[in-house]
Amino acid sequence: MAGPKGDERAWVRGAQAGNASDFEALFRAHWPSAYRAAYLVVHDTAAAEDIAQEAFLAAVRNLDRFDRRRPFGPWLHRIVVNRAIDWSRRRALRGEVELHDAPVEADAADVGSETVAAMRRLSPEHRAVLVLRHLLGYTPGQIARLLELPRGTVNSRLRRGLDELREHL
Amino acid sequence: MRLDVPIPPGAEERAHRVAMAAFASHRPAPKRRNHWRPAIALAAVAAVVGVLASPPGRSVIHAIREAVGVKKAQKELFALPAPGRLLVNSQAGAWVVEQDGSKRLLGPYREASWSPFGRFVVALKGDELVTMEPNGKVHWTLARPGLRLPAWGGRHDDTRIAYLSSRNLHVVAGDGSGDSARCADGVAQVEPAWQPGSLSMLAFAANDRVAVYDVTSCRQLFVRTTPSPRRLEWSRDGKLLLVVSGIGADVYDLDGNVVAERVGVRDATFVGRTHRLAVLRSADVYDLGSQPLFHADGLRQVVSSPDGQWLLLTWPAADQWVFVRVASPHTIRAFSGISSQFGGGKFPEVSGWIGK
Repeated sequence: MAGPKGDERAWVRGAQAGNASDFEALFRAHWPSAYRAAYLVVHDTAAAEDIAQEAFLAAVRNLDRFDRRRPFGPWLHRIVVNRAIDWSRRRALRGEVELHDAPVEADAADVGSETVAAMRRLSPEHRAVLVLRHLLGYTPGQIARLLELPRGTVNSRLRRGLDELREHL
Repeated sequence: MRLDVPIPPGAEERAHRVAMAAFASHRPAPKRRNHWRPAIALAAVAAVVGVLASPPGRSVIHAIREAVGVKKAQKELFALPAPGRLLVNSQAGAWVVEQDGSKRLLGPYREASWSPFGRFVVALKGDELVTMEPNGKVHWTLARPGLRLPAWGGRHDDTRIAYLSSRNLHVVAGDGSGDSARCADGVAQVEPAWQPGSLSMLAFAANDRVAVYDVTSCRQLFVRTTPSPRRLEWSRDGKLLLVVSGIGADVYDLDGNVVAERVGVRDATFVGRTHRLAVLRSADVYDLGSQPLFHADGLRQVVSSPDGQWLLLTWPAADQWVFVRVASPHTIRAFSGISSQFGGGKFPEVSGWIGK
């Protein structure tokens, strides 16, 4: 997550004025969490890189219109998670096997966590709310606003996602 | 809950380079109280064509600046500077330009493109897909609704044509047989690209994605997120795929790894048979060691000659085509009045420059 809110607002203000070091500060503060959030939804390192990068390019394109009174992180994370869900849905819809797919177990071992491996078995929608709650630390109410979902839906996805995770662990 | 995800080595720095370059190209002009700002802004949007080594980093040529067109441009396209012939789509239809400069209007076709070895042309006319010889002699036609973007690929002994019908991907054999929908719907309005020498490996664009599929088995080789893809091109050996998108140009290997990336790119192409890229940039956003080859406002396309010795730059703002020799000396040959030479109306698009 980013540093103090005051810093972040100053970085946004500076970036909007064309200050590269302020934009860089935003990038350094938020890119790792953007990548991790994307990875936990898509479970594909290249796609996660693309999605995190694309989120920052969207930030650049929309920087002039960004309301500097709002926090930057949730805005970025919303782009990341929605793109990641979209990517996962499309891949699932195609129902095809990537020729270079690594075995699930090998990939999971790479990220060093049984929980991360087990998350792969959940739907992208369930992964997304778990990532927002447990990686990025948003409250259910904030997640509901981020994803434009009813709060009850967020709560039920969180509950069901955690139940499924327990089954797989 | 422990959600520990290590970050791949170099990933953050790769993203950092791209993000900072994008920022540099988008950030607002400095606020100064003087009257020179329009001139500064104009310079910032000037297009630059450079030839970039891939991997990046090799300086090749010196800058040549022109403001409103090459002054010594010839008024007629007397000849192409390199062997091969051009296929051009204009408002009047599809044209073949021979090396000696002679031009033939094939007819009121649209979206014409070459067969892989330049022996035939595929084009659209109303709801018909039409294949023909470069002299205009029609071989066969196929009527389908909502036709767009035919692309012809394959080997010397067998070929395939991919096309979109109402955004569904179709493939038909080069002799017109076996037409069928293949593997994908919702395909973006970007010409698919066959891997050279292959009857099955096809790159196409979907919404904010680029996909490479084996369209015989509908197996996915890779899919990558790419906002607003505009153009796809394989290197001649079929080992690299160039994707020009709304944010830049990426080059992928066959595993879907990015081996080169540029932001702020308007158009790009592989130079001849090499893996080197010629890049047309909307601004010189970041320096990877390359030097601009030609610097002007409003360039649209960059097309390599088949032998990789020359680049054709199309320049609607000046109504010119500019041929630039890649190797030293960097000779320039410019031709003006291009729109009227191809029947008038909108500035024509070059579909391809192919060897004979």
